[in-house]
Amino acid sequence: MKIWLGLGLVLAVALVVAACAGHDWASPADLMRAVAGDMDLRSRLLFEWRIPRVLAAAFVGGLLGLGGTVFQGVFRNPLAEPYLLGSAGGAALGATFALLVPLAAPQALVLPLLAFAGAWGATVLVIGISRVSGAVDAAGMLLAGVAVAAILGALRSFFMLALSDETVSLQVVLSWVLGGVQTPTWAGLGLLTVIAIVCLGLTMLLAGRLDILGLGETMATAFGLNVNRFIAVAVLAGSVVVAAAVAFGGLVAFVGLAAPHIARWLVGPLHRPLLPASALVGAIIVTLADAIARSALPPAEIPLGLVTAVAGGPFFILLLARRLRT
Amino acid sequence: MTGIAASNLVLKRNGATLLDDVSLTLAARESVAVIGPNGAGKSTLLKVLAGIEASTSGRVRIGDRDLASLSSAARARAIGFLPQYFDPHWDLTVGELVRLGAERGERLPEDAIEKMGDQFELVGLGHRRWSTLSGGERARVLLAAVLVVDPPALLADEPAASLDIRHRLDVIEALAQRGRDRLSVVVVHDLDLAFGFFDRVILMARGRIVADEPAHRLIDDPRLDTTFGVRFDRLKTPDGVLLRATKERL
Repeated sequence: MKIWLGLGLVLAVALVVAACAGHDWASPADLMRAVAGDMDLRSRLLFEWRIPRVLAAAFVGGLLGLGGTVFQGVFRNPLAEPYLLGSAGGAALGATFALLVPLAAPQALVLPLLAFAGAWGATVLVIGISRVSGAVDAAGMLLAGVAVAAILGALRSFFMLALSDETVSLQVVLSWVLGGVQTPTWAGLGLLTVIAIVCLGLTMLLAGRLDILGLGETMATAFGLNVNRFIAVAVLAGSVVVAAAVAFGGLVAFVGLAAPHIARWLVGPLHRPLLPASALVGAIIVTLADAIARSALPPAEIPLGLVTAVAGGPFFILLLARRLRT
Repeated sequence: MTGIAASNLVLKRNGATLLDDVSLTLAARESVAVIGPNGAGKSTLLKVLAGIEASTSGRVRIGDRDLASLSSAARARAIGFLPQYFDPHWDLTVGELVRLGAERGERLPEDAIEKMGDQFELVGLGHRRWSTLSGGERARVLLAAVLVVDPPALLADEPAASLDIRHRLDVIEALAQRGRDRLSVVVVHDLDLAFGFFDRVILMARGRIVADEPAHRLIDDPRLDTTFGVRFDRLKTPDGVLLRATKERL
């Protein structure tokens, strides 16, 4: 209970700090005025732009935490991460396609759908490759993921070069691909809230079976889990979560890796407490990272994905080193 | 009653025949040891009987149902399976592991988990993590997690192989005693334990059943010597016959 209160408190403080941060720093009192409905321009800007952006960043972080937890649970590998396993790359390819190719349907619908298709396809491809090559272990899966991610990245770059023109500037796609939370309207934020809650509910349905799967395939089967079917279902659910995160936040590296780890230190490895705790930790990380991205080099904005990669890369190396030593 | 009957099991993988036309009938109440040299197919047979691996052909019946027609959950309640090697991916506590085992049960008595704790001397270990347990503690935790739903049939694959002698005796004795009112099938490496504790012994080699006899009869059988490729001296002791192997061409 103390841990949940603590996580909630840290997230609240992070949200307030992030809402104050920017190239024009606001005070908490300014925020209060803006939320209370003050009509002055600065308050309107805070209310229409910064606050939705901060909340969106928190939701994207929460989704990344959930997605990372599901993938680590399915692959039973603490180094599994949507970004490394190609599913985020697949989502990005789908989303880039949606951004650059004029399609009949509205982009708000096409982008998440294509992002989902890409995330799911890439993950199934990685699982397939590692199964066929007989390398279902951690290293085999990661290598397959890295290879698939590289291919998808190259395809995406090709599309970006070949399809961008004056109507869709490369800059838009690039800034999004490098990771950047789009500032949503309040209606968009409502949609994101609903998506995040659905994703939390969806992954919580998997929690008990993720625990069983963690006993290893033989024991999981002996305890009554249909392992192959469950992995397929869980990968599908994980892809939905990753696609939602990518659709709203672009490619943000390492949060899906770090958040479940930190959460596991706090609440242990059982997935029922782990999933919501990872979501909270992910939300805290991305809220703060996004605040840094917006305020470190005013008036420019650093892509969010670069901030998390610079901070998260060393974290990954540390985990890898510790794992190789044991 | 839930005896297990297997007919004409064949399992081929990558060109190798792991099970070669195995048929056997296991009663609802008996203790059975499965012995044989390495690669005889003992573990594979157990996994197929437990429904964890599918055979290439042949069928397994449990009670009057086809094993393949049972749902995964029903199968997991009917058959407890104790693997040879178990290493959970996440560092769970003793309590969490036993509770995961209990989750597959239906309408378990409220004190089921507590009873396991008493029976397997786990009291006070509830909050200890798997990585901090000794080999003997791990074996007892695994037994508790598998037996907490009190499955009518238990298939155990050398669960005590790596334990010290006292814990090995404890585990083997507990498994054999279960055969008094349940079905208990155990792959045993130590032949003296197999013949000393179990009613019936199945001898396997190269994917086939070589002999399937009451323990007191098989122990004098020359097929034991030929199958293991050694000469056994049968040493008479007040507690029964002990086997001493001598490396000698037959």
